[in-house]
Amino acid sequence: MSQRSERRGIHVDQSELLCKKGCGYYGNAAWQGLCSKCWREEYQRARQKQIQEDWALAEKLQREEEEAAYASNQGTQPTPPNQSALAPFSKFEEKKTNEKTRKVTTVKKFFSPSSRTTPKKASGEREERVQGRRESHGETLLRDLRGMFTPPWEMGSPTEALVSRLRESHESKTPSPSISRQSSIETDRVSRDFVDFLKSLQKLGREIHKQCRVFIESMASKKDLSADELSEYVQDFYQNMSDRLLTHFKGSSERVECVMDQVEKYIMTRLYKSVFCPETTDDEKKDLATQNRIRALHWVTIQMLCVPLDEDIPEVSDSVVKAITDVIEMDSKRVPRDKLACITSCSKHIFNAIRVTKREPASADDFLPTLIYIVLKANPPRLQSNIQYITRFCNPSRLMTGEDGYYFTNLCCAVAFIEKLDAQSLNLSPEDFEHYMSGLASPSRVEEKSTWPQSSSLVSPGLTQMYHNLELLTGLGERQQQVLDGARGLQAEMEEWQESVKQQVHGIVERYPLEVRPPALPIDSENTENDRLPPPLTPQVFAG
Amino acid sequence: GARLGGGSGCCVSFCYSFKVVLLGEGCVGKTSLVLRYCENKFNDKHITTLQASFLTKKLNITGKRVNLAIWDTAGQERFHALGPIYYRDSNGAILVYDVTDEDSFQKVKNWVKELRKMLGNEICLCIVGNKIDLEKERHVSVEEAEGYAESVGAKHYHTSAKLNKGIEELFLDLCKRMMETAQAEERMKGNGASQFGAARRGVQIVDDEPQAATAAGGCCSSG
Repeated sequence: MSQRSERRGIHVDQSELLCKKGCGYYGNAAWQGLCSKCWREEYQRARQKQIQEDWALAEKLQREEEEAAYASNQGTQPTPPNQSALAPFSKFEEKKTNEKTRKVTTVKKFFSPSSRTTPKKASGEREERVQGRRESHGETLLRDLRGMFTPPWEMGSPTEALVSRLRESHESKTPSPSISRQSSIETDRVSRDFVDFLKSLQKLGREIHKQCRVFIESMASKKDLSADELSEYVQDFYQNMSDRLLTHFKGSSERVECVMDQVEKYIMTRLYKSVFCPETTDDEKKDLATQNRIRALHWVTIQMLCVPLDEDIPEVSDSVVKAITDVIEMDSKRVPRDKLACITSCSKHIFNAIRVTKREPASADDFLPTLIYIVLKANPPRLQSNIQYITRFCNPSRLMTGEDGYYFTNLCCAVAFIEKLDAQSLNLSPEDFEHYMSGLASPSRVEEKSTWPQSSSLVSPGLTQMYHNLELLTGLGERQQQVLDGARGLQAEMEEWQESVKQQVHGIVERYPLEVRPPALPIDSENTENDRLPPPLTPQVFAG
Repeated sequence: GARLGGGSGCCVSFCYSFKVVLLGEGCVGKTSLVLRYCENKFNDKHITTLQASFLTKKLNITGKRVNLAIWDTAGQERFHALGPIYYRDSNGAILVYDVTDEDSFQKVKNWVKELRKMLGNEICLCIVGNKIDLEKERHVSVEEAEGYAESVGAKHYHTSAKLNKGIEELFLDLCKRMMETAQAEERMKGNGASQFGAARRGVQIVDDEPQAATAAGGCCSSG
């Protein structure tokens, strides 16, 4: 070091001239301070290394390229159908686990004091929630907009939302305290009604009540049994009860039916949560499969199904909407008989629509295609679960022979038809059917183009509503313009009038200038009879 | 009297409930037939019923009350596969064809085969040649139709919904046959079973012991 600091001028230390490798020979700056021999060695090694590195890099690049090409290949290929079909299931699994974890966390939240006691955190949470709401508001807006342009059966999320909402309001699994309270209120009300009803039967009523209570308690211990076994128990109970009642009422089947309806209502309201779509069955998976199937069939038109409806008639479209509402409402009922009543009501609306269109009573040839059409349009939530539930737990006498049973059977037929539906059943060629199913082509769109103004039935109700609203808005705009024009005219007129009044006043003022004459006469100048007045009193001096 | 005495002695006002399915091709006149029977109307603008796909009729046959529920089925070929859902648990089937339409008779034959295969002899079959008012255009011969009906254990009827011919007889006959079958079943099961039990699981009755079959045969021959 000390040597370097002393370095001045051209003095170069001996050691610096020697090869850096320390071989004893002199080095050269051009060879990075190495001697010729050492440099050659060093250079060779470096080159070899470089070549190796280049080789590795080239290999790596090629591998990457191949991978990229493979990936892009994969991308351009259509995704295998089974993958897309599986997606909802995995989603559903996810949802289920989510639900479970949510349950756990909410329960935890309930017991942990921190969520309640820290106001700072709470306010932060509130902020978050507000933000979340704003976001979700945007989402709903988007969805609404989407809903305007897609037919309702094509739109996934609202149905899903409906399903989840309905599910939340019915399943005990959801932990929301308000909802569970609501359901218990309903249960209480049904129990009260049942007791009131049984009071009219006196001693028999007490007996029935006891039987039902014992049965419900016994069912609580059978939760792990399969759905068929549960159904067996309930059906056995129905039969024992109706046999006993039949003996008691001496064969009056009307009265037996009446009591049995009440019994069914009471029992099934209580058992609903544990026996509707139980976890031991694959009802839920079937629900999802049917839902997806109906969604995939969104392109099916009235003409393909040969539905005898003319939806241009207001009464017909009205009945169609009512029928759709009824069949969707079925899921919200607990008692099998109430669910059946929804199906019956739906069917009655369908009959009305057919009658208005065809002007003759509907036969099954008309009814079944229309019901299929309604089910496709409605995509009722948890359709399979509901059908299974009714089949398992409805009082059989109603299901087998009655009118309700007939409509229920038709609904089962409609669902079976939708599941098995193929090109032949819609009078389509297999190629067309495949195209429509895969979404490559849409029959409704072609027809819509050709008969756009007439075929209001093909346009989604949302779109029709939008056109209607647009028309209204245009009319409103015109009228507003008229009002504005009128207002402006009025303003101009007012100004003109004001001006004219001003001018008139000026003219008059100018023509008749105001002259203020000073009073020329004393105040009493007009008193012409002054002289007739007695002279004023003058003071008199009295000597005194 | 003797025939009706069997079973359900405890029930003062016993009442049979029968389910009858109406099968047949689209334009054979199933709806007209059933509307004529239940409303006594044909192509009438004043038909009061909203629909003609599910109709009921209350009957009184030799002192026994009968509730008849008539289930119309969609006749289009594309709905053929749904048949079993419709005719499950039915006591009788009315298979209608158009006498002027050979094809519709062929469809009836298919139905008969299917019904016998699925439900055995539990179900009472009626084969009905409708539209005999169009006798001149007949394409299905009387001999062929009646011969076929006999060969499959069904009864054959000729009807005209337009002229109101043969319809009352058809339904009355069917009801009587269904009552016989029901009574035979009751005797097979022994006493104590109510109509609720009978209505509940038709299958259970079927897999009774073979001796029941002989009992049923004896009863039918005596009746």
